[in-house]
Amino acid sequence: MTLAPIDYLILCLYFGFVLGIGWWLRRRVRTSVEFFQSGRSVPLWIASLSFVAANLGAQEVIGMAASGAKYGIMTAHFYWVGAIPAMIFVGLFMMPFYYGSRARSVPEYLRLRFDEKTRTFNAASFAAMTVFSSGISMYALGRLFQLLLGWSFTACVLLGAGIVLVYVLFGGLTASIYNEVLQFFLIALGLAPLMILTLLLVGGWRGLQSRLPEVMTSLWSFTGSADRNPMGVEAFSLVAGLGFVLSFGYWCTDFLLIQRAMAAESMPAARRTPLVAAFPKMIIPFLVILPGLVAVALTKMGTGYSLPLKESGVYDYDQAFPTLLAQFYPPGMLGVGITALMASFMSGMAGNVTAFNTVWTYDIYETHIRPGAGDAHYLRVGRITTVVGVLISIGAAYVATIYNNLMDLLQLIFGFVNAPLFATFLLGMFWKRATGHGAFTGLLAGTAGAALTHGLTLAEEKGAWIGELHRFPSTMAQNFWIAIVAWTSCFLVTILVSLVTRPRPDAEMRGLVWGLTEKPADRGRPLLLGLVVTAILLALNWYFW
Amino acid sequence: MDVRYPIGWMFALMGAVLCVWGMARPGLRAPLAAVNVNLWAGLGMLIFGAAMILLARRARK
Repeated sequence: MTLAPIDYLILCLYFGFVLGIGWWLRRRVRTSVEFFQSGRSVPLWIASLSFVAANLGAQEVIGMAASGAKYGIMTAHFYWVGAIPAMIFVGLFMMPFYYGSRARSVPEYLRLRFDEKTRTFNAASFAAMTVFSSGISMYALGRLFQLLLGWSFTACVLLGAGIVLVYVLFGGLTASIYNEVLQFFLIALGLAPLMILTLLLVGGWRGLQSRLPEVMTSLWSFTGSADRNPMGVEAFSLVAGLGFVLSFGYWCTDFLLIQRAMAAESMPAARRTPLVAAFPKMIIPFLVILPGLVAVALTKMGTGYSLPLKESGVYDYDQAFPTLLAQFYPPGMLGVGITALMASFMSGMAGNVTAFNTVWTYDIYETHIRPGAGDAHYLRVGRITTVVGVLISIGAAYVATIYNNLMDLLQLIFGFVNAPLFATFLLGMFWKRATGHGAFTGLLAGTAGAALTHGLTLAEEKGAWIGELHRFPSTMAQNFWIAIVAWTSCFLVTILVSLVTRPRPDAEMRGLVWGLTEKPADRGRPLLLGLVVTAILLALNWYFW
Repeated sequence: MDVRYPIGWMFALMGAVLCVWGMARPGLRAPLAAVNVNLWAGLGMLIFGAAMILLARRARK
């Protein structure tokens, strides 16, 4: 695939506007609150779209299409089971504590509710995780564009990272959020024509159903047991592992996302941010997963298109999305499609960068390195951290080109640390007896539980570095069960240790925990909004059953 | 500052470029697309961009 001058024109137009937004906002950033928290003044619809976009990285677009081609519509579980219920929960029940506590970050909430060690553990692992994951997605983008367009890896990485760096430096979180809204629309409008064109060619959803094996077009019908579907998961681990532990752990505690809702202009806006975000989130599977299914159908139809093969003779699913772009978009629109991929990469990366600089500056630097300095000092530290964070990410991207296994290992370890998190927040917010010692030991126990489960089980030749007690049909099933074990051990250990340690006086926990916090007024009807989202969600699950 | 202005202008411009391009090269087709994708998608983006600008203007009044 080669790009024509018109495609580069479109790409440059986009670069011009994202940089322009950063430049435009430069005068609005005078204090650290404006740089890190967008002055807590972002309108609801902007916060919501940025909430969705910050999560919508380039790996997601390519990866979800690949997964759609490999597993079929069951991939949509990552949205309809694995995201939406958690988004409803965080908006209705957790945002009153996050926003109401006036914490500046998620780790800082842990400091207010529990203690310093729990916060530091969470802040350090989160900070490390965000810079590395932005490095990994940078690596993925560089490889993709190298393979697809013949661009140099270095040029691609430096261009993408450089532009994000410039607009975040100028406009802080506000620039990141405003650009995420622009990027969201670009992704949606850039990918929607592909979905429409491909579906028209195969005869819509009914046409797909008639051309693909039934297991690829059923969401739940084949989840009775793990060996009946290609994902190798059964309904229980799907709902408990993915739907509950993993997705609540991510959507309800990951600062990258919560930061966007915490920047909202008011409590009602903050609570509705994830709820309003759920609407576009429910639709994204149609944009990114359906093309994967279509790629398989087209391959069977003899249209002249076929999914590329790897050297080993199996389908190269990662190629599904890029090859479809080339088959359906002429020069011009192709530029828009490529720009949309670039935009999705940048929105994910800016999300990581803004979350990293905030956690580093507030939760590590201000807490442990230099407390009590003036606001201008922390603003400067925030800007320097932004540069350093981007540099580390670029470094990580290059390390990934050489030591791919090292990156896999890091992601695995971060997964262990993350899996139990939701139990800590759940107990912290809804059980006032939970103590700091309980939370900290619980987190350690959960992480250990995750590592042990991985060490004792085998799936697709992964894991079992201690010994093989059990074999899973797929790494996905293994991941879900690791999460379930981690969550349960954290939950139980936190309760046990809390019961034998000294409780905090109620007076210190006002606004931080259920029962000691004034119930927020139902302004903006978040509950009704939650019910509407639930109804649509059930309808989607029923239709694609 | 209303973010709908830059978003609106970007899509209006991109849409206009695609429309003009689509009209100038009506025969340009990707292998599997039977319609003039540039023209129609460009038109859609142009309308979206214009709507954003209009909304921002109405909010300012």
